[in-house]
Amino acid sequence: MRDNATAGNGTNEVGHPAVHTEGLWKIYPQEPSPVEAVRGVDLEVAAGEFVAMAGPSGSGKTTVLNLLGGLTRPSRGKVWIAGREISDLPDRELAKVRLSRIGFVFQSYNLLPVLTAAENAEFTMLLQGVPARERRERVRRLFAEVGLEGLEDRMPPKLSGGQQQRVAVARAVLANPTLVLADEPTANLDSSTAEALLDVMEKLNREKGTTFVFSTHDPRVMERAGRLIRLVDGLVEE
Amino acid sequence: MVRLPTLTWLALRNLSREMRRSALTAAAMAVGLALLIFSRTIADGAHEDWIDAGVRLGSGHVTFNAPGYRDSESLDDRMSTAQVEASLAAIAEAGTPDPPLPSVRVATRGLASSPSGALPAFIIGVDAATETMFSKLNEEVVDGRYLQDGDRLHAYLGEALAERLGLRTGSRMVLTAQAASGDIEGQLVRVVGIYNSGVEALDQTLIHVPLGTARSWLGVEGATAVAVLLPHSSFTDPVLEETEAAAGRAGVEVVGWPETAPDLYSALKLDDGGDWAFHIILFAIVALAILNAIFISVLHRKRELGLLRALGLSGRETGLVVYIEGILLTVASGFAGVALGLVVMVVFFRDGLDISGFMPEDINFGGVTFDPVMIPVIEVKHVVQSVLMTFVIGLSAALYPAWHAARLDPAETVKVD
Repeated sequence: MRDNATAGNGTNEVGHPAVHTEGLWKIYPQEPSPVEAVRGVDLEVAAGEFVAMAGPSGSGKTTVLNLLGGLTRPSRGKVWIAGREISDLPDRELAKVRLSRIGFVFQSYNLLPVLTAAENAEFTMLLQGVPARERRERVRRLFAEVGLEGLEDRMPPKLSGGQQQRVAVARAVLANPTLVLADEPTANLDSSTAEALLDVMEKLNREKGTTFVFSTHDPRVMERAGRLIRLVDGLVEE
Repeated sequence: MVRLPTLTWLALRNLSREMRRSALTAAAMAVGLALLIFSRTIADGAHEDWIDAGVRLGSGHVTFNAPGYRDSESLDDRMSTAQVEASLAAIAEAGTPDPPLPSVRVATRGLASSPSGALPAFIIGVDAATETMFSKLNEEVVDGRYLQDGDRLHAYLGEALAERLGLRTGSRMVLTAQAASGDIEGQLVRVVGIYNSGVEALDQTLIHVPLGTARSWLGVEGATAVAVLLPHSSFTDPVLEETEAAAGRAGVEVVGWPETAPDLYSALKLDDGGDWAFHIILFAIVALAILNAIFISVLHRKRELGLLRALGLSGRETGLVVYIEGILLTVASGFAGVALGLVVMVVFFRDGLDISGFMPEDINFGGVTFDPVMIPVIEVKHVVQSVLMTFVIGLSAALYPAWHAARLDPAETVKVD
């Protein structure tokens, strides 16, 4: 494991951890009995950390990421992102937090199929109102760094899995989020592509100070993580 | 909304990706609108034909009478010469693109007698030259000719009446009615022509005689009515409004064709009701087709829509993307539907839609003969109404899929398949 990255990201939330949770529960009402997916998780991730969350299937990794990203609301407990409590925010405010603070990378790439690689990468910036010229420049530079140069105008189906996932990572980090949440980002990639993607994310973490939190089964990801959090049956196991 | 251009751009991209589905959805709406426009133009054309036929054979689009005449139909309630002049002056001031055509008439109910018998008749004294442009009964002649300037003791009557009285062109008959003096007066006239209008009720009773003959026979100086033909039925209400004050000052009343031809008016309203019922059924089907198409596209794109939420769109904005897709489809369909409807109308039915093959001959409807060749007429108001109706239907049909998209759970929808 490498040392935790501690670089600040230049935003005004310096002094707050990137993520903080207290007594986080997620219970899905199901018949015959409710499912307790997350059972009182207390978590803190400092700004600039490169953290992996590991655990068997059904341990609650994805649910925790969804709770941290404001994609689902906790049944109990609270979540702070860069010092802002998001658990009870109305939908519109929560959307703003996701737009300005959080980047997502999903296992199945999840690119918008109607947009080109470059348009996908700049979509969050477009929503943020970043001027077109700046968007294009940021995409050009990052695509060059992550080996996507020349693929800007390709539609997602014309990209390989690794290329699509790199576009997804580019989309997640280009908007300068406080936190990137990556749900099994290497699960669908072969080992060399997975290594290359981890290189990219590690580099972005190191150079830009972006905080990364992964859920993973992948030993390569765990090995590279600055900190490993183990989840079992919805509980953090230190 | 700040992000509206971005959402519109995204909606356009979504539509262009599913071009076939988008085109089929738009086509359903466009064809519905085209059908609506086509049926409205046919209905408008047919209705105007019916009104035209009805007012020509009746009392015109608007009619000036002395108060009480329409109820009593008595010469006691006739207009004086001054009132006739005032009515003619009022109608001359009416602001229609083509000048109105007034017809001064003296009408009475009486008996037509021949050696074969006597039958009730509705006798109208008319100015022959004016009447050839007004009622056009001269075009329905089956024997002889219509009245002419200079005719005095002549009459023009329907074929059914002529047959029942055993009259032919050149025959003589006696018209009998109560004159202005109150006495029963008879007038010998010679049949100058016989017509067949196709309307049984007219052919059995209506007789035209020269205006001068009617006046001298009945002892009348003014008239019982000034019937006015306008360039189009849509001018009826404006002309009524324009002439009402002048008519009131002259002591006469002016009414429109819906009052003088209530049967025709009711028949048109009934037909309109049938048309609307057809349109509502048609558009209910179109609305369901649109709702189905957009809703299925939302279900197919659940993950993308959830992703939009993850990337920073609110639920409302995500729903708005879907709704904008509905708006764009509706607008495109609106243009296509209007174009298609008008092209079909102009290219294929410029000379009319002939449904004579499906109908028996000589159908009377609301007191006029139904013309089986229906000529479409473009009423801008009705085209605009049809387009607005399409927009309402399209935009309403997109509401539910948009609402559904807005309520998608992003955590569920971005899951691995």
